[in-house]
Amino acid sequence: MKSGSEWGPFMNAKTSRRDFLSAGLMLPVVGAGSSLGLMNLSAQTPAGNTASPLKLSYKTLGKTGLKVTSVGMGCMITSDPSVVTHAADLGITYFDTARGYQHGNNERMVGAALGSKRKQVVLSTKTEARDKAGSLAQLDTSLSELKTDFVDIWYLHGKSSPADIHDDMIEALQLAKQQGKARFVGVSTHSNQPQLIPWMVQKGVFDVVLSAFNFSMDPAVEQAIDAAAKAGMGVVAMKVMAGGSRNQKLAQPGALLAALKWVTNHPSVATTVPSMTDMDQLEQNVKAMEGPLTADDHKILAAHLEQIRPLYCRMCGKCEGTCAQGLPVADVLRFLTYADGYGEFALGRERYLQMASEHVSARCGDCAECTVQCPYGVQVSRRMACAQELFA
Amino acid sequence: MRVVHLAFLPILLTAGMARAQDYLSCQLAPGWTQSEAIHSYTADNLYDYKDGGAEGYLIYGFAGMKSLNCKSGDNTLTIDISEMSDADAAYGIFATNSDPRLPIAKIGMGGQVQPQSASFAKGKYYVEIVVNSADPNTIHTAELTALVNRMARRIEGRETPPEALAWFPQENLTSAGLVPQSVLGLKELKRGYVAKYKQGQAFIVLEDSPESAAAVMKELRERFDGAIDAKVGDEAFQDKAQYLDGICIFRKGRALAGYADLPTAQEAATQAAKLATRIP
Repeated sequence: MKSGSEWGPFMNAKTSRRDFLSAGLMLPVVGAGSSLGLMNLSAQTPAGNTASPLKLSYKTLGKTGLKVTSVGMGCMITSDPSVVTHAADLGITYFDTARGYQHGNNERMVGAALGSKRKQVVLSTKTEARDKAGSLAQLDTSLSELKTDFVDIWYLHGKSSPADIHDDMIEALQLAKQQGKARFVGVSTHSNQPQLIPWMVQKGVFDVVLSAFNFSMDPAVEQAIDAAAKAGMGVVAMKVMAGGSRNQKLAQPGALLAALKWVTNHPSVATTVPSMTDMDQLEQNVKAMEGPLTADDHKILAAHLEQIRPLYCRMCGKCEGTCAQGLPVADVLRFLTYADGYGEFALGRERYLQMASEHVSARCGDCAECTVQCPYGVQVSRRMACAQELFA
Repeated sequence: MRVVHLAFLPILLTAGMARAQDYLSCQLAPGWTQSEAIHSYTADNLYDYKDGGAEGYLIYGFAGMKSLNCKSGDNTLTIDISEMSDADAAYGIFATNSDPRLPIAKIGMGGQVQPQSASFAKGKYYVEIVVNSADPNTIHTAELTALVNRMARRIEGRETPPEALAWFPQENLTSAGLVPQSVLGLKELKRGYVAKYKQGQAFIVLEDSPESAAAVMKELRERFDGAIDAKVGDEAFQDKAQYLDGICIFRKGRALAGYADLPTAQEAATQAAKLATRIP
């Protein structure tokens, strides 16, 4: 184990999380309703060569009782069915798609790729329809495209607020279960988890939540996920690489694997759905099941967090109302990120200029001292001044 | 350092995003009126709109999207115009999202119109239109066809599909497009054109030079232990692989190409030879 000081200021600022992770290292099996076992499996390479044995870890998906490998497969951007087939052959048991992916072509590909293996795996899909009839019609199409009589989990796709989930959508979920078209139901969410997930738990009709979750997120998301797992809800994590595989943010060797291991070793998370497009990515990701998060993994992730810490707002909301000039700090920082994080200057400026005129004209240089203190160490006054200089 | 570079961004990016917005107008669809302000999305917030499907845009070099909602009575019409990294990428995402069971129409580089939706690609722009009717059985095909043709005339850019798609043999072809990464699920084949046939699939990957193509070829050959030489192009091998079945990969100049998913390696080599003659 490395000391906190070697992990840098981020870890000092996040003592509870460090302790939590340390506990995870010692007790990888714990967690609400989850169990973990290891299985050796001989795998074959695409060319048919025997590779070294793989160790797969299994967990139980909350009260559903479904046993899933802690690394599942997000099929959304997979173009070649051979990768899906190979994943099933390697022993991965959780496969995720959605009606909307590639306008339905993804479900067709996944159904064809799984073929006779369908009943050996847990298969989930989603509907983006916003009413009961539309949702149920989409489910029927999904079943047809996936060549199956039922899906194991059927999600309402991409909800970020209880207000997004109408009663008739819940009726659709319940009806699908009654009709045997979906064994379990849930909601997928990319944002606002601290509000949405507790509501889902309280509602008591959802079996599973599929949530964006990774090492770089606000602790409030983690708390919501812990509470869901404690209540017996199955937790599936997505966006586990923190955007790393797409934009090379996690370019350091071993960083992507460390990010995946962070989630697979999280006691509240049953499985994960990293996107995979090739055989090597697949085999690399499977290795995340081989063992606990190591001190080196911690170091890699902490270094990455330290790198982004002064720049990127985590949207935790703790700065709200603390600016002496009344500026919406998190919003301004987000607009700046559009420009210097994503190269979208025009959008950043457009959003900046849509603020109230007194906010557009405010200047951080007018204050002798900044009253905003970011708990994550974002250099608020410097970043705000940068936004004002660029956009105003 | 990044802030310094930003000094150059406004001219470039403002121009690009403004152009996408210029192509959007409810007036292009007679009887429809704009119901709300145009929404803008980037890689940062596309998830807010497209949920997990956003990833499918990002891998095609998504630069930004403008979205417009129009209204006519109880019906709504949503027009999304996405700016991609280049025309090939725009065609690629169009092809990936299009229905392979339906024909590709001559709208821009290619398009499809269905009863309640339409899509096409022209230049580096990818356009998607969806009608939400009070009566879901209403047919809007004629209206959508007129709309996409009007939009396609306004949008600037290339009107022909990627040249390499014409190199694929057309017999028994079911669909063709651009795979943005890992063609055939192999990381060595980074970005390339793929054609699906009633049986099997073909691919073409264009490297920067014959030398770099030869280097990739060497890596590929090492992946297939049972491969034997084939007489196609400048160099080739064939194999019967577990997940790609009968496969033949060849190099011709800077092009790496081949066939996979055929019953035997020999059949793959035979088809590959035909493909090789079509690659300039």
